Amino acid sequence: MIKCKTSREIGGMGHPIKRKEDDRFIQGKGHYVDDIKLPGMLYMDIVRSPFAYAKILSINTEEALKVPGVVAVVTGKDLEKYNLHWMPTLMSDTQMVLPTDTVMYQSQEVAAVIATSKYAARDGREAVMVEYEPMTPVIDPFKALEPDAPVLRTDKEGKTDNHIWHWEAGDREATEKVFASADVVVKEQMHLPRLHVVSIETCGCVADYDKVNNHLTMYMTTQAPHAIRTVIALVAGHVGLTEEKIRVVSPDIGGGFGGKVPVYPGYVIAIAVSFLVGKPVKWIEDRSENLQADSFARDYHITVEMAATREGKILATRFKVLADHGYTDAAANPSKFPTGLFSIGTGSYNYDTAFMEADAVYTNKPPGGVAYRCSFRVTEAVHAIERITDRLAQEIGKDPAVLRLENFIKKEEFPWKSPTGWEYDSGDYHTGLQKAMKVIGYDALRKEQAEKRARGELMGIGISTFTEIVGAGPSRQFDILGIKMFDSAEIRVHPTGKAIARFGTKSQGQGHETTYAQIIAEELGIPAQHIQIEEGDTDTAPYGLGTYASRSTPTAGAAAAVAARKLREKAKKIAAYLLEVSEEDLEWEPGKFYVKGAPEKAKTIQEIVFAAYTNHPPGMEAGFEATHYYDPPNLTFPSGAYICVVDIDRETGEIKVRRFVAIDDCGNIINPMIVQGQVHGGLTQGLAPALYEALVYDEEGNILNGTLMDYLVPTAVESPHWETGHTITPSPHHPIGAKGVGESPTVGAPPAIANAVVDALSHLGVTHIDIPITPPKVWKILKEKGVV
Amino acid sequence: MKANIEKTFEVNQPIEKVWEFLSNPEKVVTCVPGAKLTEKVDDTHYKGTVSLKFGPVAASYNGQISIDELDDEQHIMKISGKGMDTKGKGSAGMVMDGQLTAKGPDLTEVGYKMEISVSGKLAQFGSRLIVDVSNQLADQFVSSFKAALETAPAPAAEAAAVREEAAAEPKDNAVNVFALIIGVIKAFFGRLFSSKPKQS
Repeated sequence: MIKCKTSREIGGMGHPIKRKEDDRFIQGKGHYVDDIKLPGMLYMDIVRSPFAYAKILSINTEEALKVPGVVAVVTGKDLEKYNLHWMPTLMSDTQMVLPTDTVMYQSQEVAAVIATSKYAARDGREAVMVEYEPMTPVIDPFKALEPDAPVLRTDKEGKTDNHIWHWEAGDREATEKVFASADVVVKEQMHLPRLHVVSIETCGCVADYDKVNNHLTMYMTTQAPHAIRTVIALVAGHVGLTEEKIRVVSPDIGGGFGGKVPVYPGYVIAIAVSFLVGKPVKWIEDRSENLQADSFARDYHITVEMAATREGKILATRFKVLADHGYTDAAANPSKFPTGLFSIGTGSYNYDTAFMEADAVYTNKPPGGVAYRCSFRVTEAVHAIERITDRLAQEIGKDPAVLRLENFIKKEEFPWKSPTGWEYDSGDYHTGLQKAMKVIGYDALRKEQAEKRARGELMGIGISTFTEIVGAGPSRQFDILGIKMFDSAEIRVHPTGKAIARFGTKSQGQGHETTYAQIIAEELGIPAQHIQIEEGDTDTAPYGLGTYASRSTPTAGAAAAVAARKLREKAKKIAAYLLEVSEEDLEWEPGKFYVKGAPEKAKTIQEIVFAAYTNHPPGMEAGFEATHYYDPPNLTFPSGAYICVVDIDRETGEIKVRRFVAIDDCGNIINPMIVQGQVHGGLTQGLAPALYEALVYDEEGNILNGTLMDYLVPTAVESPHWETGHTITPSPHHPIGAKGVGESPTVGAPPAIANAVVDALSHLGVTHIDIPITPPKVWKILKEKGVV
Repeated sequence: MKANIEKTFEVNQPIEKVWEFLSNPEKVVTCVPGAKLTEKVDDTHYKGTVSLKFGPVAASYNGQISIDELDDEQHIMKISGKGMDTKGKGSAGMVMDGQLTAKGPDLTEVGYKMEISVSGKLAQFGSRLIVDVSNQLADQFVSSFKAALETAPAPAAEAAAVREEAAAEPKDNAVNVFALIIGVIKAFFGRLFSSKPKQS
């Protein structure tokens, strides 16, 4: 049970209050970018490349310009005149805005058509004639590294291969030594395929440049409005758009999941066109463009090895990664972390030796590498460690739950230093797994499995006990383009005791309008329903790096608590003045200060705030406002224990997830109902890559499932009944002991499901199956093994 | 995106007559759905167009056809073609190996293998259907080919169907979309229900 310190009326932490924002969302009153209509607004559509790699011989715009309503067609050559034809990526690579001579991936932007309606723009797009000379693309990342592979990035001076970067963590020599002498070594090669976040709202913007005042207002689908404003200033400062002349507004966002962190060429083209014609320009992607051209996630080829004793004591792990970044490194990681936080991959287990290395390559596929509901490559790392842990259990014939319980870092061993250098803040892995085992009835399931196996039925049980790493991050290590990854909160309490608070983050469905209000309510005793939360407008919100990678609660949530505590200190001074006692004589209970031993002598927070405007103590600043920029001392380390049961049809290979129990530990819980909602959505997005989703390219670089007809997104029909629960191990360094939860289920679910399927087939000698595990894949295995 | 097609069919005509027709691009092209020759470059090279329309995607390819091998004695031929979409939406290529075998004085077996490759929009939209579409096109080719060669009325219904199909073809010689889609749907469901009953 969650204990609440505040009353239901105040609605502080732990109360399952309904999301405030849902009033407008469920009534269709959300206000999204595509709802914005400005006088004289023009519409943009984008001509895209049908080829993965081709020279552009000519672009003929004559017919397009004849289409009624079309006012302009913009090409790379047009943008080149203003040096706006390229832009930096968040990883300090470079990316074309529009090409001047070569296209590097299918669906790349080739030209933009501007018209007075979106239909005219689309007709114009169809009428643009582009002459291409296709070249042989490089699609396979392994082939991209072969010596005779054509060099793709000829635009980068001195580039002689397709290699982007090499990264290492841990101790190579020590790891080799342990592996050389270990009793048991297990090894698997796996591919975490390209995925797309498939948010319900696609990407888009309205760029509104005001020529008279030399001011740009950019309404856009972004998870990080402040960072975007800075990027625009860096890209367009030379044409006079300096940062004070730019306002970025991120209205309601229909799902982000990492896909709305990058800057896409469409945004930049819209800005350039608005700047040149002096009119607002709207660009909204259609579903296929979103799926085919926007940043992908994952696409890691991982070789993972584990060394252990015969009894099952884990001694060391080794990871080797090949990362396919497509045309450019457009990942959205902190600058110093090319593989994101992949080095969390040593897992929840107590051993001291590990080595990881990764290489990234260019191919003729769309660029990206975003953190899809995942703290920068954590999903990839967790999949590898949780799969190889099961592989070890299979190798030595030990129950995977027992193996985990024997190897877990113990509760009292925290803070724990990982072999790759992280300091895990807190955790209680044993309690989590034992709870999950109890809820699902683990021992009975194993018995049932043995009986079914004897009858020839296929049933599997899969476990995933992951450690997450979120809340980027401490400024000594974490920055994006040099900007430190702190986040901010500004609270203003009005004379009548009602408040508005603004943040540097941006909700895309996380429920910030409710949870941030609850944090402030917890600290100040002002009812959450009277605290209005605002995000997403760079003109009003304090600077922050946005919402992704489960960082909002660890950073901005902490900032809200600290800012509120500053105000509580001020309130105490005012209360002492009003009650004519010294501050030391005052006690706080949510909502009021009272005199020790005389609880009837009290001042409510509302009375105190009113006094701050009407009767403030001499020498004190009037008003009741505070701002805090929170720089976390460490990351937070949520964890979870997931158990999944699958039944497999031995004739068709069809997989049915019979049960799925998810016990999450995200530290102190702000709103259990929102946490549960986050976990449900996240588990479904974890089911997706495990059984359904992957972006598939043929050897010519054609995407073979570029529409939602072919890219299988699970719906309520495919989703099992999720059974959720929690343990609470507060973060010791976070002001409210919270850790973050948004991405845990997406990270933890795929290996639980994959482990369950492999477990169902393990007696046939199956040790690994790459996700997505589709019925044809399973059927083929069953056929090979003589079961079908 | 590639599709491989292998087909054999029989024509009630002597082998030399079939060969004379098949090895003449200007004649045989009249049987290729949506295709026409626009220019003869030399004896083995031609220029032409192919128009296809499938669902939301209309594609018109401008390309070259080259006769890579033509063996009058063995009755073996190899033809390749490639073209670019006239609107810059993709490209398509084809390599075909054909062989005639005499099965009797008035009966010839035509066997051919085709590898069709498409890039661009058609590959994206049509990836699930490309094999079925190609098969339909191949079947239409066979019907037209037989109709053009066989003077003796083959099964009356089939001939009528061929004539109907030919009549339904739009003037620009684009492929009969409706028939094609119906055919593809039939093929798809045919596959679904044609699996053998389980062996117990």
